[in-house]
Amino acid sequence: MEFLEFMGQAAPYIVAVIGAGTALAVVATSRSTLRRTLEAFHDREERLRSVLATVPDAIITVDDRGVVTAFSPVAERLFGYGPGEVIGNNIEMLMPQPYKEEHGGYVDRYNTTGERRIIGIGREVQGMKKDGTVFPMELAVDEIKLGDKKFFNGFARDITDRKHAEKEAREQSRRLAELRNELFHVSRLSELSQMGSVLAHELNQPLTAITNYVQASRRIMERESIEVPDRVNESLDKASAQAVRAGEIIRRLRNFADKDEGGISPEDVGAVVREAAELGQIGQGSTGVKVDIQVEPNAPSVLIDRIQIQQVLVNLLRNALEALAKQKKARVQIAVTTQDDGDVGVAVIDNGPGLPENVAANLFKPFLTTKSDGMGIGLSISRSIVLDHGGDLECEPSDGGGTTFRFSLPAAKKDGAKNDI
Amino acid sequence: MTSDPTIWIVDDDETVRDSLSALLDSAGYATETFGSAQAFLDGHGSDDVGCLLLDVQMPDMGGLELQEKLREQGSDLPVIIVTGFGDVQTAVRAMRSGAADFVEKPYSETAILDSVQLALQTQVEEHEAHQTAQQFIELAGNLTPREREVLDHVVQGAPNKIIAYELDISPRTVEIHRARVMEKMQAKSLSHLVRMAITAEIIHPPQG
Repeated sequence: MEFLEFMGQAAPYIVAVIGAGTALAVVATSRSTLRRTLEAFHDREERLRSVLATVPDAIITVDDRGVVTAFSPVAERLFGYGPGEVIGNNIEMLMPQPYKEEHGGYVDRYNTTGERRIIGIGREVQGMKKDGTVFPMELAVDEIKLGDKKFFNGFARDITDRKHAEKEAREQSRRLAELRNELFHVSRLSELSQMGSVLAHELNQPLTAITNYVQASRRIMERESIEVPDRVNESLDKASAQAVRAGEIIRRLRNFADKDEGGISPEDVGAVVREAAELGQIGQGSTGVKVDIQVEPNAPSVLIDRIQIQQVLVNLLRNALEALAKQKKARVQIAVTTQDDGDVGVAVIDNGPGLPENVAANLFKPFLTTKSDGMGIGLSISRSIVLDHGGDLECEPSDGGGTTFRFSLPAAKKDGAKNDI
Repeated sequence: MTSDPTIWIVDDDETVRDSLSALLDSAGYATETFGSAQAFLDGHGSDDVGCLLLDVQMPDMGGLELQEKLREQGSDLPVIIVTGFGDVQTAVRAMRSGAADFVEKPYSETAILDSVQLALQTQVEEHEAHQTAQQFIELAGNLTPREREVLDHVVQGAPNKIIAYELDISPRTVEIHRARVMEKMQAKSLSHLVRMAITAEIIHPPQG
């Protein structure tokens, strides 16, 4: 404990005490009073010191020139200095460039203008350890006036971990946003592709009938030697050519959508499933549904278009969450297992009310939906994605109620298979 | 070929069946239509001549399955696969099962008529080739063992002297056998004999 005593000949005596990061002014009228006061203060100082020792912040006191007058043990640990190494030096030694150089200017400016940039405000700054390591810290500074002398107390906290976590979180949300965009894009394209397929089938039939009828009419007139103006024959030819053209347009639409196929590559099935589960729960609010993911530890990598398969998973999970909306103890389980044939089986199991029979029968047909806001092609798209991966999407009642959707994904490399990917 | 060919149309869409039938009828073909693969299996005779137009997407049994079923049953009727959804896998599967052609809906009338005509023509040619082969094998049965040996050498293109050496007989004797082979096989010329032999798959055409 250091006591700096400024004692005059006449009362009042003024004593300034600077201890472990604290400054106090004691005013006393006699030496005995002063002594008692000092003793009382000593006790409080001890208590205060023990309290301060538990404060996780580094506490640094400097005078109005920036010279360090107190440096707490936490500060010593934080900056990597030994006891007493910092006291008496300028605070600049704890700062990296360019702050080290500029600090004197900041102090001068404050001393002349009184303009506060950090004092009483606090902000993120950079500190430099004894070994030169620069780290982010949060610094709060208080000003203490003792008579005409000014001291500054700094409370510093290392925020490296927090910064790191913040960065991770930013990274995570950026990645999720990216994934959502990708999924959205792919789902639009898949819908387009699926629409193209459906249109191709539904519209090509009547278009075919049109060309057939038109050309039959023309040939019958020819065969029966019925005289018609050339213009009629030309028009009939043009009519059927237009029907063929309409078919071409549908075909191009489908081909266009089909061409945008993502890459097939080996993927860690656990990571793919977990990410999809995360995506599937975004924007669903707190559903109260427990989503439980079980991935067999030795499940092999799968050879898939990640985005497309995640779209299937998101779709199945969302369907399950919707089905479970009013359910108590609602639970969705996503189970990944290795099948007997070496491929990977994925099951999305809910304990909801199960599917009504008439819905189950038409489950994968496009444009059939139980939802008021859907196009009814989600499951049909999901199924065509799974089919493209060489599997099939199957639906069955879960054990003990609810619905289970299952599909398999090709293992990137089967045990015992000789061909490397 | 004793009867006129019939074109069987199998499509679950009634207007497509009816209009295609109208088109083929206008082009002078006899047609029969079926609303499902099963209806065709139940309704057509086994030794018919003609060609099948099968739609790929039909409930219960699609055109490709019907085609495969017919092949399993030993039918060699030419099949034209018609689809409103032409993807590579379907085309490959159809061709692998021996489809004569693969046509995407909607088609121009020339595409479907050309396809039908080609399928029927191929069928006629195959039928004729089959008969030629049958006849060749039958006639070859009348040859003596020595004549048969001479035939085998002749159709491989061996000159008389080589045949004589190989069979250890005189070139003159080879000539006599050869004349008798031509006569018994009803061959108008050496090239005719070789062509028949190729058709009957006694020898293989030169590679390349």
